Amino acid sequence: MTVTVQSRASKQAKRIALWFTTFALMLVMCVPGLWVVLSAFRPNREILAKPPVWIPQELSLVNFGKVFGFGAEQVGIPVGSYFANSLIIALTSTIIALIIGIGGGYAFARYRFRFKGGLFLGLMLFRAVPGIALSLPVFMMWSKLGLVDTKLGLIIVYVSLNVPFTIWLIDGFFRQIPQALSEAAQVDGCTRWQAFWKIEFPLAKSGIAAAGVFAFLTSWNEFALASQLTRSTDSKTLPVGLLDFTAQFTIDWAGMCAMAVIIIIPALILTFIVQKHLIAGLTFGGVKG
Amino acid sequence: MKLKTTLVLGTALVALAVPAMAQDYGSFDGYTLRVKLIGGAQYEPLYAEIPKWEAATGAKVEIVSSKNHFELDKEIKQDIAAGTLDWCVGSNHTSFAPQYGEIYTDLTGLIAPEVIADFVPLMIQHSTVDGRLVQLPRHSDVSNFFYQKSLYEDAEKQAAFKTTYGYDLAPPETWAQVKDQAIFFSNPPDFYGFQFVGKDEAITGRFYEMLVANGGAMFDENWVPTFNSAEGVASLQFFVDLYAAKAVPAGVPNYTWDDTGLGFGSGSIAMDLDWGGWSSYFNDPANSKVAGNVGVIRAPKGTAGKRTGWSGSHSFSITESCDNKPAAASFLTFLTSYDNQMVEARKGLLPTRSKVWEDAIAEFEAAGNTFSAETMKTFQASMSEDAFTPPLIAEWIEVSNALWPKLQAAIVGDMTAADALNEAQADAAEIMKDAGYN
Amino acid sequence: MIRALTTRRTEMAPFLLLLPAVATMLFVVALPLIFSLWTSLTPYKLTKPNTLYDFIGLTNYVRIFGDWDFWEAFLRTIGFLTVALNVEFALGLGIALLINKITWGQRGLRTIMMFPMMFSPILVGFQFKFLFNDHIGVVNNALQSLGLTNRAIPWLVDAKLAMFSITLAEVWMSTSIFAILLLAGLFAMPRDPLEAAKVDGCNAWQVFRHITLPFLMPFAYIAMAIRSLDVARAYDLVAVMTDGGPAGRTELLWTLIARVGYDEAKMGQANAMAYVSTILSILFTWYFYRKLVAARRYMGGAE
Repeated sequence: MTVTVQSRASKQAKRIALWFTTFALMLVMCVPGLWVVLSAFRPNREILAKPPVWIPQELSLVNFGKVFGFGAEQVGIPVGSYFANSLIIALTSTIIALIIGIGGGYAFARYRFRFKGGLFLGLMLFRAVPGIALSLPVFMMWSKLGLVDTKLGLIIVYVSLNVPFTIWLIDGFFRQIPQALSEAAQVDGCTRWQAFWKIEFPLAKSGIAAAGVFAFLTSWNEFALASQLTRSTDSKTLPVGLLDFTAQFTIDWAGMCAMAVIIIIPALILTFIVQKHLIAGLTFGGVKG
Repeated sequence: MKLKTTLVLGTALVALAVPAMAQDYGSFDGYTLRVKLIGGAQYEPLYAEIPKWEAATGAKVEIVSSKNHFELDKEIKQDIAAGTLDWCVGSNHTSFAPQYGEIYTDLTGLIAPEVIADFVPLMIQHSTVDGRLVQLPRHSDVSNFFYQKSLYEDAEKQAAFKTTYGYDLAPPETWAQVKDQAIFFSNPPDFYGFQFVGKDEAITGRFYEMLVANGGAMFDENWVPTFNSAEGVASLQFFVDLYAAKAVPAGVPNYTWDDTGLGFGSGSIAMDLDWGGWSSYFNDPANSKVAGNVGVIRAPKGTAGKRTGWSGSHSFSITESCDNKPAAASFLTFLTSYDNQMVEARKGLLPTRSKVWEDAIAEFEAAGNTFSAETMKTFQASMSEDAFTPPLIAEWIEVSNALWPKLQAAIVGDMTAADALNEAQADAAEIMKDAGYN
Repeated sequence: MIRALTTRRTEMAPFLLLLPAVATMLFVVALPLIFSLWTSLTPYKLTKPNTLYDFIGLTNYVRIFGDWDFWEAFLRTIGFLTVALNVEFALGLGIALLINKITWGQRGLRTIMMFPMMFSPILVGFQFKFLFNDHIGVVNNALQSLGLTNRAIPWLVDAKLAMFSITLAEVWMSTSIFAILLLAGLFAMPRDPLEAAKVDGCNAWQVFRHITLPFLMPFAYIAMAIRSLDVARAYDLVAVMTDGGPAGRTELLWTLIARVGYDEAKMGQANAMAYVSTILSILFTWYFYRKLVAARRYMGGAE
């Protein structure tokens, strides 16, 4: 094996070429999204134009003024409370779904019991019920329980949306951690709970983080059920608030784009921070059933 | 009872003395009025006035919901289903109102007759379903015809048009002229002569008003659908022909109001039949390229000499289950008061009180805002002479849903106009039969 | 005695651990499903609450099964799901393979890759509706400016293009999910068989075909199953883009259900259709789950 300087250089060149190709491809993929982001800074007149305006003539924060209510547009929309609602609902439901999911995932990974396969599949299949089939019955139940237009009402729904996926992911992750570890700890005098908490839980961190990101994104972006179950600023979330930019006959697309940017940024930051754990966490037990 | 007397007295005062804030809205100390209001940037300025009513009456207003009207419609239907009509005042619309049945109370007697008398009579008539005044109109809207003025002032175009069509190029007076001009102006894919909304209840409405303008009718006196008449076929054929001639954008079957509005604002559409509510957007240089170049006339006439005047009003209603109807009535009176309608009229919305029309036009003229003054005058004429609503029956939306996919099928060329209407007529007849009409 | 009790407790433990999960699903999904099953057996109209108590048996089902519009929407939904899921898989696999080769700045690239996942389906609907606007939309403007066409292509109207445009929007929204799940699979892949194959003189295609792909298949089915769990969220997108039109060309079960149930308030009939769509979704998920189990068995993993 003789590696010449030249072939090393060509290998390096190849690698750089590959990087740029991939980067370019990713950018192309993002174009429809980047168009929304760019539109947030441009006036309606330019975004939807004939003949088209390719090079932005004016970039401004006017559209954000429509959201927050500064500048010439005095009446904004209550984006502050939408943001707070979204954050509270998405975070709380994610945390609860994770707690329930860790319990359930651990049970599936570590115990043998009757109806195990059926129960697992059953949980998944319940999740497959389309939201449109649930929207009215859930609404009727929630209204009897006084949960309509409350954050709690939406949190409960989102927990159930996220529990099956979380269980699946975490189950697979626990499976990959050799059972011998916790057994050894138990031999050394730990209780099962201590063994779980000190040994298995820290090892499962990536899986939990990945499940958390997915659950958060689902709750953060969910629209169909939120639009049915929320009504006022007490519980309306950001995606529902997008419709504030549509009136009966008009739509302010540029304003909607500005709002979209406000929705996207926190999700993007979170994803970037958790990125390290994300891939490592998404193994689902891999090839091991 | 005493409360009511105060209210009647108070509202009577509005009628007499126009600087209305001085008037008495009654006193409802400590009461919390729960309301559902249509939301959206256009509607918010009025809600910013609500604290004035709270200060005057000592009551508090709790906005329990704020959504666009289609979402609000879903929500109200859910409320009916779940029996959660635990609120007093709701935004309503003349096209939606008939579906809600008895949930809204008759305002006759609740709102002082003197107050009602200040409204444009036709608006009150449109707000009445089965003889009950179920809503108080907030602002209204009607089809109006927008066009780019510069196109008609271009000498070259005038000459070319005259040579081809044999009459002078001028803003159209009839729909036949619209067709000629639409084809004349079109230069696809860069420029189109005309456009129309092509889906949902929107295309049903466009077809319906054309049907009326051509002398046809949706139903006969026994509520049997008759829109597949010769007038109906001719009305639908108008849209089919424009589409086939590429005088409208190829995407119109998927257009609703936002698309037509944004399209005309982009400066690449010559003529646009649209809601008056768009006028301020069209003339705003920040949003629209045609600002300063917008002409507005009443909708053109059909073959029967009638103008297409599809109209609807945004309104407020009081629930039958409301626990304090006088307070709710006072709130409605406040929201539709002279002052508050002036607030909305200044933003370009069409008022429903006769005096607001006059004063808003006068105010625009005094401020040298000729465009707004002129459009307001046009709207006033179409609102009082041309406006008509869809049939005010609960089945309207269902009939519309049977009709519009067929209209689309004819427009995109899947069926002939006659076949499409015959099929839709059969479906609609069944709906009416199921509903117990005949 | 004590011994028996501890065994008892260990037997109980998994059920106790699963109790919250099961309770949530029963409460939020199963109970409402029972209610909607009942409504599907009544002529329930939202605006006439009393109709909830008229039992009419299977009339709603008979009505929808005899309605060609329903079957058309049903078949179109299946077609849409099949095409969308497969295209998403193929693209996701390509992206995952590419990114897997990158060593520098991968964390950033992966975040960029996941960018579309940050978009709410309702937003994606508006976004693609405007992108695909035939007249002032960016897509046609770009094609015309580049001189590729001088027509205004009716993306959302044409019989074939309309479904294509919707599928494209769905693919844009969801390919990232496949890519990230498959990338995780590639990361988890053991290096030894790959090295061994290279030593044995296999070319890149052979390695991919006989080693990488079979190893990835369980991940692919996991991704498929997970995606099929919430494909119905494509409803938001279709509702905004075309709402089933024009002339029913893009009508899917979900748009039909929403129109009948809410616009026309005929909730009984809508819920009968919703039941069919529920069963369809469950079948899709179940199918991929079976495939997953089979693929794992093929890989020699423990069941």
